Amino acid sequence: MITSHVHRDRWISVAVFLTLAAIWQVLSMVYTAEAQPGEPMIAGWQVLFTNTFLAMSDYWQGGFGVPAVADGAARSYPAAFLAVASHSIDTIGRLAIGLAVGGAAGLLFGLAVSWSRWTRRLFDWPLQFLRTLPLLAMVPLFQLWFGTYFLGEVLFVAYGIGVIVFAGTVNAVRNVPQIYIDNARSLGASRWTLCRTIVLPAIFPAMRSTILLSLGAGWSAVLGAEYLGAQSGLGYIIVYAQQFAYLDRMFFIALLFIVYTSISYWAIGRLSARWLAWAPPSQRR
Amino acid sequence: MNSAANSRMIEIVHVNRTFQRADGQMVKAVDNVSVVIKEGEFVCLVGPSGCGKTTLLQMVAGLLEPSDGGIAVAGREISGPGRERGMVFQKDSVFPWMRVIDNVEYGLKCRGVPAAQRREIARTYLERVGLGHVEKAWPRELSGGMLKRVAIATVFANGSRVLLLDEPFGALDYVTRHQLQSVLLDLWDEGGAAARRTVLFVTHDVDEALSLADRILVFHSGHLVDDLAVTAERPRSTDSLLLPDMVAIKHKLLAHLGLEKRAKPLAIVQDGAAS
Repeated sequence: MITSHVHRDRWISVAVFLTLAAIWQVLSMVYTAEAQPGEPMIAGWQVLFTNTFLAMSDYWQGGFGVPAVADGAARSYPAAFLAVASHSIDTIGRLAIGLAVGGAAGLLFGLAVSWSRWTRRLFDWPLQFLRTLPLLAMVPLFQLWFGTYFLGEVLFVAYGIGVIVFAGTVNAVRNVPQIYIDNARSLGASRWTLCRTIVLPAIFPAMRSTILLSLGAGWSAVLGAEYLGAQSGLGYIIVYAQQFAYLDRMFFIALLFIVYTSISYWAIGRLSARWLAWAPPSQRR
Repeated sequence: MNSAANSRMIEIVHVNRTFQRADGQMVKAVDNVSVVIKEGEFVCLVGPSGCGKTTLLQMVAGLLEPSDGGIAVAGREISGPGRERGMVFQKDSVFPWMRVIDNVEYGLKCRGVPAAQRREIARTYLERVGLGHVEKAWPRELSGGMLKRVAIATVFANGSRVLLLDEPFGALDYVTRHQLQSVLLDLWDEGGAAARRTVLFVTHDVDEALSLADRILVFHSGHLVDDLAVTAERPRSTDSLLLPDMVAIKHKLLAHLGLEKRAKPLAIVQDGAAS
């Protein structure tokens, strides 16, 4: 019975998705106003997957035997595909490295706070302070300090993710049942072994929601960083398109973002569910 | 280790422990307790809840520090937990993120025992507690009684000379409790009388204390108020509890717990009657 429920729920989701797509199409036909000649405010699917996608060629720098539009070549599907792929890779790469660096740093400092009284004094207060700084307000500062291509964006994403993971880790460590720690100590675990074999697995169920939360923040952070001065990436395309009121291109990139974030949530959800095979089902969802 | 040090396995000397309550008032959980426990003795700590028996056990385990006084195990003053003192807790302490066999191996792994050797030891003890068939299971798949068996196998596999058990079977049903008592006694007696481990067993169940213990220490309001030898032969059965000596001890215990009228006023035992 349960499998049939899951099956039915999936069909309902697909139906909702198709209905939304259809509503969008109807809207595009009813509301035909244009931001400028040839640029509809609401682009129907037939425009998005032809003209709009082709227009992505404009963002191709040239290479792989496909010349850039800026060098006089005509728009083409290969150029459009390469443009979307290369800018996506830039954005996703920044996010992935920022996620790794920020996640590791947040986890490390979070564990350090509960390691001993001295490390708590050392890290807790300054990091709590750092947490309160508004994320997006820091973008210009990061770009002036670390540049606008790679380091600045990556460090900014790492910062945005790191503060969330730090707070989540401190909270999760605080909630580790004392009995596991007592038991491990009386069985002879050193402090390092305790941290590795007890604290880390014990906080994982709580960290799962923190990781998903920080993933969302990571996508916002990388997009925010690209809005404000990057020379590549999906955020850069949106800013560029906005300057010329290319609404369809902005919508196309937004759709791409939805696809990417959905895949990233799904992948991390699956991966962490596998690592939580030991936990009761309620903690794995 | 010489035999004199061995015979005095646990020495508790003028131990005090005070707690500060939330309202700021100081409470003496353990009040000037002194007792010596010999190697191989099975000692039950009995008393009404809040009498300090669990606090004392946690101090012997090294999980709590005495406010005053000292505790020595095998002739050495303890500081912090140590693997020569294995603890079985009242609540479930089995690590849910490790499979059953990895739980049993945990202490051995902490000491760096080679993988093949520790697996063999862990298997042996899992078999002994009757869980050979679930070594690869996750703890969440086990019942409360099975989890207790895992906890017992874990401390025995770790080779502790002193076992500290804090109301380990308190939350179990009657049948499971009796099964686990005999599992514990079998393991305790596995190498014969000479190889017995020293056991401190906290319980509030008078019959449990009578059927397990060589000696029963009775606590009341942080004081050690009685020290009773239980000399009935092992293995003990339901009938053993009906022997005149046993019935006499049971009456004393019930009086201490306030369930029967006292024959004489309560006296505090000083410096351990058996030493």
